[in-house]
Amino acid sequence: MIDRKLAVSVDDLTVAYNYKPVLWDIDLQIPEGVLMAIVGPNGAGKSTLIKAILGIIKPIAGSIAIYNKPYKKQRKLVAYVPQKGSVDWDFPTTALDVVMMGTYGSLGWIKRPGQKEKKASLEALEKVGMLSFKNRQISQLSGGQQQRVFLARALVQDASIYFMDEPFQGVDATTEIAIINILKELRKAGKTVIVVHHDLQTVPEYFDWVTFLNVKKIATGPVKDIFNDDNLTKTYGINYKVAVNK
Amino acid sequence: MPLKIYIINKQIMTNPQIEIQLIAVVVAIACAIPGVFLVLRKMALISDAISHSILPGIVIGFFITQDLNSPLLILLAAFTGVITVVLVEMIQKTGLVKEDTAIGLVFPALFSIGVILIAKNANDVHLDVDAVLLGELAFAPFDRLLISGMDMGPQSLWVMGVILLITLGLLFLFFKELKVSTFDTGLSSALGFSPLILHYGLMSVSSVTVVGAFDAVGAILVVALMIAPAATAYLLTSDLKKMLLLSVGFGVFSAIAGYWLAHLLDASISGSMTTVLGIVFLLVYLFAPSKGLLSVLYRQKQQRIEVSLITFLLHLNNHQEENERHVNHLNEHINWQKVRSKSVLELAQKNNMIGIENNIVSLTDKGREFTNLALEYIITNKDEKIEHMKEDFFLFRG
Ligand SMILES: Nc1ncnc2c1ncn2[C@@H]1O[C@H](COP(=O)(O)OP(=O)(O)O)[C@@H](O)[C@H]1O
Ligand SMILES: [Mg+2]
Repeated sequence: MIDRKLAVSVDDLTVAYNYKPVLWDIDLQIPEGVLMAIVGPNGAGKSTLIKAILGIIKPIAGSIAIYNKPYKKQRKLVAYVPQKGSVDWDFPTTALDVVMMGTYGSLGWIKRPGQKEKKASLEALEKVGMLSFKNRQISQLSGGQQQRVFLARALVQDASIYFMDEPFQGVDATTEIAIINILKELRKAGKTVIVVHHDLQTVPEYFDWVTFLNVKKIATGPVKDIFNDDNLTKTYGINYKVAVNK
Repeated sequence: MPLKIYIINKQIMTNPQIEIQLIAVVVAIACAIPGVFLVLRKMALISDAISHSILPGIVIGFFITQDLNSPLLILLAAFTGVITVVLVEMIQKTGLVKEDTAIGLVFPALFSIGVILIAKNANDVHLDVDAVLLGELAFAPFDRLLISGMDMGPQSLWVMGVILLITLGLLFLFFKELKVSTFDTGLSSALGFSPLILHYGLMSVSSVTVVGAFDAVGAILVVALMIAPAATAYLLTSDLKKMLLLSVGFGVFSAIAGYWLAHLLDASISGSMTTVLGIVFLLVYLFAPSKGLLSVLYRQKQQRIEVSLITFLLHLNNHQEENERHVNHLNEHINWQKVRSKSVLELAQKNNMIGIENNIVSLTDKGREFTNLALEYIITNKDEKIEHMKEDFFLFRG
């Protein structure tokens, strides 16, 4: 455990919107091969942290490394599932087409996706149980189905590190189980998976690593060591009681 | 050989009617393409802003070049368009006002600078505000492109032709990048396709197109040609490529139909084209197969009946007692407020789902099977189960 390689390393990260910091001086080391939850109240800066790591937002201070190199050099190692509300679901496009977008990164500028990319995308759709919906316009999918399509898009990126922003938002129990099983499979294959998560009850069951975040980093480490009332209270500000030990 | 071409030129290209339509068609296509992305990015207003705020750029460019079709003037004016976008975004970033307010602040300011510049120099400039705003396609063929004395056709046709070729080239090269950055900025940025570069690329193309076209067709028609075809196509398809093709089709159709309407009514060509664009949009808005107003209303009505039908069938399924299944009692047991019980009974009978004997309603085998499937679908939401019923029932579509 101690010698594990670091998948992601964040040092002294401060991010602001309009000069108002929403993340203060974050230090975060994420070892390779963990399935990690990021928990914290609404507005804690969870999405912002992921966006900063992926270079979507420019931080005002600090540095970020993916396997010891800047993100720009490691793009192909990283897959990203944004929060569902961040895209326009009425956009004229189909489920298959959305999944194909996951292949654009490895293609680079100008080059178009071909048969190989299409085949990989169909396989990813199959994996999340959405193959029969491949030609469905995305607004005609239920919330859970949309989330599965997003997951398929991340799978097709064939990355080493997966960032997912609230993948369980608005999905039914069947989809939640299907998604978490795929995430556990990814971990088994040695991938690192980082998930913004809201349901504290399921943290010990789903994840082996956890980061508590509320503007500052409260704690990070193995679920069995640090997922306790003390950290929950520090993060959420109220006295939180959850059944940590089942 | 050169002589022959000249003769063909003389016969075809100097015919002003055809030239006007040709210019209109080229402008329509050149506008429709960036228009699709503006509409999808919910930036329709910005094209209006650009079309007005380029005025000072045009005036200053005209002072320098003395030629409304000079490429330098087009670039200068397009640059003003991009500045508009930058200013709007800067004001928006302060968080004090929303985007539409920011647009409302920027473009009248720039536009009025342009108007003042024209007024101050009215003597040296043959530019007037009306001509810029409304344009007059009928005059476009008068401006000829002469190369060593040879007439190459209307200048604006060449200007817009070049702009169209550039637009098509960029679309062809960066289609996938434009698509992903329009649909999902976060992913686009994470994949390394800078949304900022694509955004300003699109803004630059839009500005150049507006500037190139304003002289021929006027600012108002330019905005209409950018937004209306895309908004119309959006109602008809769920495929970006088809949306682009349809937009181009609507643009071209409106340009030609508008021309002949103007001919018929002896009215302004630009005005007629704008009118046709509006009429086409209205027709599609009303009659589009799935997103049109009428089909939405029809679907809602149909779904109401179907919900009642299933409620009714479930009720029959749940009750063996005859008094619960008497025709006269059904009204009391089920909430029929929205739909007349008669139409539900008829629908069920037409589909052979119920039989009525002595005013007692019972489910047929087919009715029972349907009810169970529907129930299962309602509980599990598993689409495979009811795939074969989709054709007949709106309720089960999407
Ligand atoms: N684009 C933005 N502009 C300004 N403020 C923002 C923006 N995005 C997020 N914020 C603010 O930053 C804070 C953190 O947001 P976010 O990272 O989305 O939180 P979380 O994902 O933990 O709910 C919130 O206070 C939010 O209002
Ligand atoms: Mg969030």
